[in-house]
Amino acid sequence: MVENVIEMKKAHRLLARMDYELGKVQKGYTNRTLYINLCDNTIKSKPVTQQMKDIFIGGRGFGLWYLWNAVTSETKWNDPENEIIISTGPIGGITQYPGAGKSLVVSLSPITGTVIDSNVGGYFGPLLKFSGWDALEIQGKAEKDVIIYIDGNNGYVTIEEAPEEAVDSHLAAEQFTAMYADSEEDKRNVAVVSAGRGAENTLIGLLNFSFFDLKRGVPRLKQAGRGGIGTVFRDKKIKALVVKYTGVKGDTNGPADKEKIINAGLRLHREIHDLDKVQNRMREVGTAHLTEIMNDYDLLPVMNFQYGSHPDAIKLSSDVFKKYFTQGLPDGCWYGCSMACAKAVDNFELKTGPYKGQKVCVDAAEYETIAGLGANCGIFDPEYVIEANFYCDTYGIDSISTGTLMAFVMECYERGIINKEITGGLELKFGNKEAAMELIHQMGNGYGFGRIAGQGVRRMKKIFVEEYGADPGLVNDIGMEVKGLECSQYVSKESLAQQGGYALANKGPQHDEAWLIFMDMVNKQIPTFEDKAQALYYFPMFRTWFGLNGLCKLPWNDIEPADNGLTDEPAKVPEHVRNYVDIFNGVTGKNITKEELILQSERVYNFQRIFNLKMGYGTRKYDIPPYRFMGPVTKEEYESRAERYDKQLKELGYDIEGKTVEEKIKMLREYREDQYQKLCDAVYRRKGWTPDGVPTLETVKKLGIDFPDVVELISKYQ
Amino acid sequence: MKIVKTKPELCNGCGACMTACSKVLYRVEDPKKSAIRIKEKAEKSGSYEIFVCNHCGECIPVCNTEAMYQAKNGAVRVDDKKCVGCYICVGFCPNNAMFTHPDINEPIKCIACGACTRVCPTGAIYMDEK
Amino acid sequence: MIKVNKENMEYQEGMTVEDVLQKKKYTFRMITVIVNGRVVPKDQYATYMLKDGDNVDVVHIMSGG
Ligand code: SF4
Ligand code: SF4
Ligand code: SF4
Repeated sequence: MVENVIEMKKAHRLLARMDYELGKVQKGYTNRTLYINLCDNTIKSKPVTQQMKDIFIGGRGFGLWYLWNAVTSETKWNDPENEIIISTGPIGGITQYPGAGKSLVVSLSPITGTVIDSNVGGYFGPLLKFSGWDALEIQGKAEKDVIIYIDGNNGYVTIEEAPEEAVDSHLAAEQFTAMYADSEEDKRNVAVVSAGRGAENTLIGLLNFSFFDLKRGVPRLKQAGRGGIGTVFRDKKIKALVVKYTGVKGDTNGPADKEKIINAGLRLHREIHDLDKVQNRMREVGTAHLTEIMNDYDLLPVMNFQYGSHPDAIKLSSDVFKKYFTQGLPDGCWYGCSMACAKAVDNFELKTGPYKGQKVCVDAAEYETIAGLGANCGIFDPEYVIEANFYCDTYGIDSISTGTLMAFVMECYERGIINKEITGGLELKFGNKEAAMELIHQMGNGYGFGRIAGQGVRRMKKIFVEEYGADPGLVNDIGMEVKGLECSQYVSKESLAQQGGYALANKGPQHDEAWLIFMDMVNKQIPTFEDKAQALYYFPMFRTWFGLNGLCKLPWNDIEPADNGLTDEPAKVPEHVRNYVDIFNGVTGKNITKEELILQSERVYNFQRIFNLKMGYGTRKYDIPPYRFMGPVTKEEYESRAERYDKQLKELGYDIEGKTVEEKIKMLREYREDQYQKLCDAVYRRKGWTPDGVPTLETVKKLGIDFPDVVELISKYQ
Repeated sequence: MKIVKTKPELCNGCGACMTACSKVLYRVEDPKKSAIRIKEKAEKSGSYEIFVCNHCGECIPVCNTEAMYQAKNGAVRVDDKKCVGCYICVGFCPNNAMFTHPDINEPIKCIACGACTRVCPTGAIYMDEK
Repeated sequence: MIKVNKENMEYQEGMTVEDVLQKKKYTFRMITVIVNGRVVPKDQYATYMLKDGDNVDVVHIMSGG
């Protein structure tokens, strides 16, 4: 390896270099952004203004602001003007509180056509900040494959042509880590961002963010998965971003009041130590514990979200995965994360593809991947899931979108919408793991039916209708995307609030804004439209805040204080909200309250909504999901829950005596679609938006985001 | 190896051990920088609890920087050069025997030097085989 | 008849909280059980007898994903 990388490094050609004064982090900020343009190889330092900090806070907020200023409403994802912005946020990089090392990535998405954000672990964001940069803003396109290298101890940035290193992430991360580390021990100070060949060949490319795992002696990969940012990355001909910073200590983030942070961190470490084993067992199995729970509650997507459970789901349960995950290792994706959910399978021998026969360490598998690639495709084989997870990651394609689009393809195949001729011989029936694996390789390598599948569900719908004569009604009902983004892996049919949680989300149906199914469907705590609207106001605002500050969502509510159930609002986890207020104040020296925390998010959230509007979306009609999000599309689906649906219809006063299933489906659909519209009305009202879903002038003024171009834009919609 | 053992019922709360310890570890006399802590019991005044590391080693695997290690003499030690001050080890210590201070970037932890036991006037702490 | 999360459930003589959880397939661990407005401690689920007409809330706390 070492000799190899020396050779590879010799092949680099320096295109530009900038030397800079080392920064110092003060109260969570270095007050500078590193701007790079790959068209003309500009490298420069830009100030981070007080206004940016006050209004956008950091992380995703900074990304949105830079991108807003970089693109027009005409800009396409593959125009050189499009940017990729990476920023952690003021809290990002503290080591004392679990989940405080996330990077937020923002760009125009190839699949949605509008702005996308993704929250990812790994060391890049914090090390970037400690190297002197609150954010990295990359614009332009290179001619040949390049890397950007940031040396945070010696103070220089280079753009280099890098022809020889691998594109696939598991190799790229290893090569660049070895190349820039002075020794084995030094490897933990190097962080790499890379994509993979699949990011070039599909529209659902992802970015892998590395962190070096000292115990295993390999770089691990965390994914900025959603929305195709990896595709943008490879379109810009970036092979990798590499940062090196040695010397992370407990006060490198320059906190104003370290004691506040330490105390909050210790409270949470102790809670995790005492309670994780009786709560979610994140330290043992990560998010994989969700599979059996979702199955029990009829929420696990099975066969393209038709059903919510399956007898074979037990084969994908956390007890099964626990045997594959190496136990007892401190699997945090940034220092200080005692949740340690970043599980891995060691010495996994690959059975297919270009790396067949090799033994690898797989960052696998999280719930979304298990549910998406497994249950949703009717495949209940953990080794398939692990292998598919490995290839999705190293090819640089989003495993959530892959799961959902594969499930869609399989249902289309089973329903005769597509056939063997179209798939080039692949028998893409539910449960056919060989065919599914082959399709992943085709997507990754850009051939055969993989070229169609890799464009995502929205484009496939169009192709199936226009070229293969599919019934547009049916494919639109069963293709699980909103705004162009494939749905993440929960069945929302029986929870109106979650239908809103998905379809109203700014970036598309990802549950990171709100996951309300238990509150709504199981606990029945939010029965009225107003209750649901309040939940769809509070939770998206609260959760947006993680992305402004470089935080992980999991330590908020995947562990809870023993007495949380006795508090006024257990779903909010009040004690942890207090911790967040404390660590924000501890870092920045400000004195915000939990109400101001929400206000910080509300500004950015509304700004992102308006960004969608700028790009030609962002109104009511883009918030309407396909019917399968809301209810049963097909006879089989209705029949699988006939008792529930019949009961609901009767309670609503429908006369269902002697009615056929088709007739009942129609009645239920009328009702549920109408309910969804009413939900939108209530949510828009609660958020201070017009009936068409556009923030009112009053709202933007109140929030202080009434910039002239914002006002001009929304004025047309008032 | 010999470690600090305790007989809390003999402790009179004088705090000499804490001063001695902070002197050894940080060259200051500050009980808040000591690796041994004496706490008066809430329910019974004049009676004390003693918190000090027993070198069980449970903190070693929780550290993801490999800063925690067992030294040649058997003591569980922190390598300050590797430590990033996350305090997971502090939160995960089954005996609550590691401490933090905002001026110090690493956990405050006993190195089994014995200095505290030499100043204890009552014999409430003493060195003995693990 | 008892109410479990606002829905009717047949009452059976000698029924415990544990029985209700099993019947409803409430396998999630982060729950709080409240009977007629009072929290039932976890260690009493198996022994806490319900009476006819009781109002049981099983609050699932995860806000998810
Ligand atoms: S909970 Fe998991 S994903 Fe979140 S910071 Fe910790 S290790 Fe990373
Ligand atoms: S505080 Fe230092 S020694 Fe303790 S777990 Fe964190 S890095 Fe390791
Ligand atoms: S043995 Fe030494 S390091 Fe340990 S508590 Fe006593 S004085 Fe401090």
